Amino acid sequence: MADTTQTTTLDPARQQIGTVYAKAILGAAEKQGLTDAVLEELQSLVEDVVNKLPQFREDLQSPRLDADKKIALLERAFAGRMQPVLLTSLKVLARHGRLDCLRAILSEAHKLSNDIRGRIEVRVRTATPITSTIRDQIAQRLTAMLGKQVVLRTEIDAEMLGGITVRVGDTVLDGSVSAQLAMMREAAVEKTAARFREELTRFAVSTPA
Amino acid sequence: MKFNAGEIASVIQQEIEQYESQLDVREVGTVLEVGDGIARVYGLSGCMSGEMVQFPSGVIGVAFNLEENSVGVIILGDYLEIEEGDEVKSLGKLLSVPVGDAVIGRVLDPLGNPLDGKGPVSTSERRPVEMIAPGIAGRQPVREPLQTGIKAVDAMTPIGRGQRELIIGDRKTGKTTIAIDTIINQKHSGVKCFYVAIGQKESSVANTIRVLEQHGAMEYTTVILAGASAPAPLQFYAAYAGTAMAEHFTYSGQHALIVYDDLSKQAQAYRELSLLMRRPPGREAYPGDVFYAHSRLLERSVKLSNELGGGSLTSLPIIETLEGEVSAYIPTNVISITDGQIYLQPDLFFKGVRPAMNVGISVSRVGGAAQIKAMKDKEVAGGLRLALAAFRELEAFAQLGTDLDAATQSRLDRGYRMVELLKQPQYQPLAVVDQVIAIFAANKGALDDVPVTQVGAFEKAFLQFMRDSHGELHSTIGEKKELSGELKEKLVAAIAEFKRGWKPAAK
Repeated sequence: MADTTQTTTLDPARQQIGTVYAKAILGAAEKQGLTDAVLEELQSLVEDVVNKLPQFREDLQSPRLDADKKIALLERAFAGRMQPVLLTSLKVLARHGRLDCLRAILSEAHKLSNDIRGRIEVRVRTATPITSTIRDQIAQRLTAMLGKQVVLRTEIDAEMLGGITVRVGDTVLDGSVSAQLAMMREAAVEKTAARFREELTRFAVSTPA
Repeated sequence: MKFNAGEIASVIQQEIEQYESQLDVREVGTVLEVGDGIARVYGLSGCMSGEMVQFPSGVIGVAFNLEENSVGVIILGDYLEIEEGDEVKSLGKLLSVPVGDAVIGRVLDPLGNPLDGKGPVSTSERRPVEMIAPGIAGRQPVREPLQTGIKAVDAMTPIGRGQRELIIGDRKTGKTTIAIDTIINQKHSGVKCFYVAIGQKESSVANTIRVLEQHGAMEYTTVILAGASAPAPLQFYAAYAGTAMAEHFTYSGQHALIVYDDLSKQAQAYRELSLLMRRPPGREAYPGDVFYAHSRLLERSVKLSNELGGGSLTSLPIIETLEGEVSAYIPTNVISITDGQIYLQPDLFFKGVRPAMNVGISVSRVGGAAQIKAMKDKEVAGGLRLALAAFRELEAFAQLGTDLDAATQSRLDRGYRMVELLKQPQYQPLAVVDQVIAIFAANKGALDDVPVTQVGAFEKAFLQFMRDSHGELHSTIGEKKELSGELKEKLVAAIAEFKRGWKPAAK
């Protein structure tokens, strides 16, 4: 199913719905000055509850449970322990049968709040863990380059051998050693082949006796 | 072989030492779904239509559909290695193929990779597969003939350099044979030939290549093959790739000929792609822009203006009809795009009239401009089409069994012999001078007293006689390309001389 925890799984349709609801929820929270709190709670809801309790997730998403029962369930589980505005939002989602889009709403909400605050999320991938000084330096340089407050997310990938790759949106700046090696190999093979091609006549005349 | 491993190693070492490290900046996306030769990719937000993308396995794709949330990519290669979640990077360039003298004599796939086991194509020149055809300022009217070597075609539906002449007919009516004969006949004309096989059985393409080799035609021919088992994207792009290779010669002032065998299969491949991409189906489930797919391809056939070097690209698209149905969607489209068509009919084919050309509905809209003066002459092929049409009418009438007067009977007899004369075995193209002499002789009545079954033998012996005993006259016609009154008199005399010595072979 589309709703798994696998990071590669993308569902553009759900993501679009997520954008709409994220905008609405953040708008409502902003009015009460609770944006950060709501965002934090939403994240905790997705990561600590929905992702960890598959039974609960299935109950919320099941089309066999009608909306009233889901609302009652949410009320029992979260009343008093959650910002009222978020609880109301969840009830609206239940009413609209969109509780399956929670994950998409969370990721879109992050993007939106970053946009609003002039921040941008950048994914940095390195071969070995980096120290916080280097991390800060990278963030500073990228902030200067992009003209926006950079939120760094680091990943470790031993296969890239060394160097660093930076991903901003759909653009990747690849400075990894593995990519450099691949490019060098390509260039060397191509240019060497071209050099031999120029002297192809030297190959031509070998006829087996 | 004078190379040694040390030398190769030193060249590679030099290249590595000179290598300048660059930051690889690229646009990426993620594969959402993949299957049937297409992939949907999320991301690639700056990707442009027709741009090349690369999958992690090295397979190349082309951005085909730009949608709100995703990009539809057609995969030119093995799509089974691609997985959901793979990172796709855009390459920022258009699909291109290798071009130049190195492709001549080769059998290539639509991406320019060799299929003939003769090693890599050694050229550094490339040309985009999709090119906009030159506009009106870059063109001039078609004016030189492209001799096919087929009497019926050269006499009645002449093809000029830069023309697009459709070959249309049911299966097994000799469509490919006409194209192959034309390629074989370009041997000494300097025309570079390109045979694009789309969705053909690999066995029949292998056979075609063998025939071309036997006749020494592979020396100036390139075969571009996307066989029946090739993925639809490759079948679709084969025609454009072949055209790009041919255009290289056109734009360097030379002449090229390209055969698309066949465009019905190409349209089907495009239909498959479009339906997989969920473009709305139209008539016969073809997408709305299938006309544009063919028109932009065939518009690239051109006779360039003298300022651009005067090169030309002649194309012979082939369309296969079902049960003679020329009013189906794709046939009508291509008929309307091309400058004429050669229509082949199965009943003629089985009657033994080969090439099985239906003279009545085969036309060439370029006409006399694509013929030498000698062929255009009223006493040669000038009135041939009309005469044959009149003969067909008369023949139908004569079948009613009515008694015929002598004049009508003699016209019928002339017609039977003319039809017989226009028959031609495959892979035996005839020089234009020979065609002129043979048709002139028939028009002068030289065949009237020859038994119908002996016409072929008469023609052969007569042409041999003309070359042997009247070589001078033969070459004069070839040089002047015109039949003056004096030459005609000499020809008539030569015919009379030959007829005195010729006896039909005993049965």
